[in-house]
Amino acid sequence: MSITLSRRSVLSGGAAALSLAAFGGGPAWAQSARLRFLWWGSQERADRTFKAIEAYKGVASDVSITGEFAGWSDYWPRLATQVAGRNAPDLIQMDYRYIFEYARRGALKPLDDYLDKSLNIADFGQMNIDSGRVDGKLYGVNLGVNSSIVLYDEAAWEKAGIEPPKPGTTWEEFAEKGAALSAKKTKPGFYASADASGVEPALENWLRQQGKALFTADGALGFEPADAGKWFAMWAEMRKSGACVPADVQALDQLNIETNPLTTGKAATAFAHSNQYIGYQKLNKSRLGVSSYPKVSAESPSGHYLKPSMLISVANGSAHADAAVAFANFLVANPTGVEILGVERGVPASESMRNGLAPKLNDLDSVMVKYIADITPGVGALPPPPPPGAGELAFALKRVAEEVGFGRATPEAGGEKLVREAQTILKRG
Amino acid sequence: MTVHPTVWVDEARPAAAPRRGALRRMLARNAPGYLFLAPWLIGFFGLTLGPALVSLYLSFTNYDLLRAPDWVGAANYVRIATDDPKFAAAMRVTFIYVVLSVPLKLVFALAVAMAFNRGIRGLTVYRAIFYLPSLLGGSVAIAVLWRQLFASDGLVNMLLWKAFGIEGPSWVSNPDYSLYTLVVLSIWQFGSPMIIFLAGLRQIPTDMYEAAEIDGAGKARQFFKITLPLLTPVVFFNAVIQTIEAFKAFTPAFIISEGTGGPINSTLFYTLYLYQEAFGFFRMGYAAALAWILLVIIALFTAFSFLSARYWVHYDD
Repeated sequence: MSITLSRRSVLSGGAAALSLAAFGGGPAWAQSARLRFLWWGSQERADRTFKAIEAYKGVASDVSITGEFAGWSDYWPRLATQVAGRNAPDLIQMDYRYIFEYARRGALKPLDDYLDKSLNIADFGQMNIDSGRVDGKLYGVNLGVNSSIVLYDEAAWEKAGIEPPKPGTTWEEFAEKGAALSAKKTKPGFYASADASGVEPALENWLRQQGKALFTADGALGFEPADAGKWFAMWAEMRKSGACVPADVQALDQLNIETNPLTTGKAATAFAHSNQYIGYQKLNKSRLGVSSYPKVSAESPSGHYLKPSMLISVANGSAHADAAVAFANFLVANPTGVEILGVERGVPASESMRNGLAPKLNDLDSVMVKYIADITPGVGALPPPPPPGAGELAFALKRVAEEVGFGRATPEAGGEKLVREAQTILKRG
Repeated sequence: MTVHPTVWVDEARPAAAPRRGALRRMLARNAPGYLFLAPWLIGFFGLTLGPALVSLYLSFTNYDLLRAPDWVGAANYVRIATDDPKFAAAMRVTFIYVVLSVPLKLVFALAVAMAFNRGIRGLTVYRAIFYLPSLLGGSVAIAVLWRQLFASDGLVNMLLWKAFGIEGPSWVSNPDYSLYTLVVLSIWQFGSPMIIFLAGLRQIPTDMYEAAEIDGAGKARQFFKITLPLLTPVVFFNAVIQTIEAFKAFTPAFIISEGTGGPINSTLFYTLYLYQEAFGFFRMGYAAALAWILLVIIALFTAFSFLSARYWVHYDD
């Protein structure tokens, strides 16, 4: 047996020997572990995350972590340029929409070897573990479970004397109640609901209630022009009856918490993600109630599914992958880390962590945790991974919905246009 | 103006000398010059020419930042020319913006400059105040302010309601008006052409006006026969610079539409579309192709301006 040593391995071996000597042996490696963690989110999320990083010093004093954060739309260009420049952060907050593209392009490290060793997520349940798998390998750890949610201004509905939407309310009832609330004109320019016709998760939920989807498992479009046309027609009707805000009010909504008509005081109801409940309540003076989405008919399924609100991944080229995995484990499977993050990123997937957290939650947090628990029996399967280029569909939907909203296209023409554009997007990839 | 380095060839040297020696001597002789030019040379090759050539190469590839660029020939250009409705929409929006904002801004800047030229007390203070919007203009804060002014419950609508009893629409979020709020924003930033016009007006000898007045020319006639012809070099300069700026406008549309170019692509400036393709959908190759087309369009416009200049610009030789 012969051992060949390259010049590089001799050099690095020498350097290692040297550093061992310098630090008097022992864990000289770990002492130099400096990690970078990049995430998207609000200031609230940043505060909690930095606090967790600080607390981690008590667990592993030899690891230092630098945190960077950005808003959602700035986050992806920043991550992509860093990865392209071979300067990827060690720890990457990932979204279900992007994990497939990043994993398949080799940017993320498979974590299967760490399972049940330094990564203890066995009690996440199969579904919550699998939501981080791509082509059978684990590339992301679930940072929190969420789903779609309806948020409403309790006082506004009460003042109008109309019962707010509740689980089981049909879209037809929702439209009727909405028109009734708007007709009361409790304050000028105030409507019952935001216009969700251009909101992708809302369309997805409505399609799923009818056994359809945004995309099929083989990456094709999961709905017909007629479906989209019916969706636009339903909202056009609500716009006409005053149940939802007019198009020029909705156009100011940039699909975030700050600009949603609920937050800006134009509407009494918003369509959102469940983990955003905390953010919405922070910006809204009156107390917000929660409900699942309205239904196509009383018998239809809820259309909801449990989704990882975000995942944490490790960069493939990370020099300190072991330390990075250990920190990820701290965030999801260590009571200290889990308590600091709370439910701001979604409800912890781990059952034991969830139970440990429950007594420490405030009112708001508990409402959200209870919401997820309530809808869980009725949820459907996680949708298949979105095909490449799927991210552009959300933009196309918003634009076509605006064309219908401003009367530039009929709902039927809008449906056809959306499907035509979506097919072009998918073909391009 | 960029100053180009001049390399001196030593003419006194015998032609038969060995070439290598000559080159070395030439370099040695010019070394201090190159040393002083180094900051510019490094900047030009490293930050301008290099990236520009890479971008030209990328425009013939599909490149998503994560995988290596994939050569596709002219496919990006073919797609832009034949099968891209958003490109057409972006061109339309950009041309409307250029055609409206540049002349209106120049007229406004000239009007203000002429008012100042009459010799107002405290001119320097007013000049500074009127120049201020140009300094702030490209900034995020102003675009945010604009969004507030032209919102449905913004200041503009409040004034309309108080003054005329008109209930105005939400200007920034209505596809019929949103682009025009950006044109108004651009006109408001008239400061830099105004300063240049003012300097140009100061150059016109006052005895010309006196002579014209004696000959019985009215104010309007004086303006069209003296002021404007003598000002054409300055008008030309301002028009070229402002046209280029208008084609490159990005920040106002990006902030007012929050990067979407909406509602319904009504504020989809060319640069915004380019940005979306590059950093929204990671089609770097396609975006590079778009950038080169913009370069060609601006170059054509500028060349056309220079060619037409000989017919209407009067240089006082």
